[in-house]
Amino acid sequence: MTGELTGELRKLLAGVTGDSRPLDAPPETPLLRDGLGLDSLGGTILLTEIKRRYGVDIADEDLNLDSLASIGTLAAYLSARLSGTPGPDRPR
Amino acid sequence: MIKCVIWDLDNTLLDGVYLESTDRPPAASPRLTSVLTELAGRGILQAIASRNPPEAAEHAERATGHAFAAARCGWGTKSAAVEAIMAELGVSADAVAFVDDDAMERAEVSFRLPDVLVLAPGDMPEAASWPQFGPLAVTDEARRRGELYLQRRSRQEEARAFGGTRDDFLSYCQTRVTIAPARAADLPRLHELSVRTHQFNSTGTQVTEAEFARLLGSAGHLVATVRLADRFGDDGLVGACVIATGPGGWKLTLLMMSCRALGRGVIDALLAWTCLAARSAGADRVAVPCLISPRNVPLRIALAGAGFRAEEQNRADGTTRTAVYRRRLDEPLPDLPDWVTVPP
Repeated sequence: MTGELTGELRKLLAGVTGDSRPLDAPPETPLLRDGLGLDSLGGTILLTEIKRRYGVDIADEDLNLDSLASIGTLAAYLSARLSGTPGPDRPR
Repeated sequence: MIKCVIWDLDNTLLDGVYLESTDRPPAASPRLTSVLTELAGRGILQAIASRNPPEAAEHAERATGHAFAAARCGWGTKSAAVEAIMAELGVSADAVAFVDDDAMERAEVSFRLPDVLVLAPGDMPEAASWPQFGPLAVTDEARRRGELYLQRRSRQEEARAFGGTRDDFLSYCQTRVTIAPARAADLPRLHELSVRTHQFNSTGTQVTEAEFARLLGSAGHLVATVRLADRFGDDGLVGACVIATGPGGWKLTLLMMSCRALGRGVIDALLAWTCLAARSAGADRVAVPCLISPRNVPLRIALAGAGFRAEEQNRADGTTRTAVYRRRLDEPLPDLPDWVTVPP
């Protein structure tokens, strides 16, 4: 499942950054800033699209946005959430 | 507060149907043109969403004598056009008014985008006096806002054609970011930023000119402003932060930036400068108390990208969610890009 998900995320990232590098960059490539050049605008579009497609609100759950560290961490986070693991506990 | 009015053309802003006019296209509605001019003068952006070829928007610009900040002409749904304009201008649905003579189009937009204020042309002359359309502060930057968004349109068109990295593009645009202590002349604009910014606002609270004036005179505070210009134009004062400069750490009690500076390296530059200045002043950490809301995700991504770590604060039931983003200064700090000018 993660493989397919990673492929979808790569396409999504390529669309958001307007660059083909995310399609074949190593999974550990950082997303923000110097890595794939995702800035706050691109990051917001990415998170909005992930929420729409997968129903996972990363901006609400992962305040440190560690899931945006790399393609690999993002795929792992989403994969865990989609397989039923709840997001990190937070006061409600 | 409405920041953007999106107009339909046929039988709304134009007195007639563009594609049905044979010899010459319909004239602009004088009544709505005067409303549009009034609202534009208050710093509210004007845009077009129309089921017409793109030439119709060019015609509307000539007919009304107004340069629109964005235009979407085509045969998709009106809600899709409104969403595209919101994304292009960086405004959220609750800051948008949509005006259309067709009840079906109004219903479609209301259904898809319930936060948008949907109005018929007949509502507009009166709506202009509603508080949602009343600016709480009007500054030079606000009056020039429409013009600034036009500059942004040309910048985005160039960016699409440009192949290099974001930093290469910012250098190519001759981006100049200037950080300086606030002066008394900046007070109206600082107040306006506190009212108008949401996506890049750490607290979401409005701050009066008097309160900013007090902070300017306070020995324990530093109010830093950011100005932005490039070869496409001068955006003026686009952001600021209020810093409580305690001996241990610096605390940013307010951090705000206009969304027109989004994607142009400004917030990264301001955060990098704050950390370097705090370290020079002997502080060992920088803290940014921040509201956690779906609206300020861009700010939170910028904080995470600048190495800040969040700690959620306990809250009583029913209060807003908050977190404190902190960064230690004994770790390597990024250098300022060479297009950033800072006070000596």
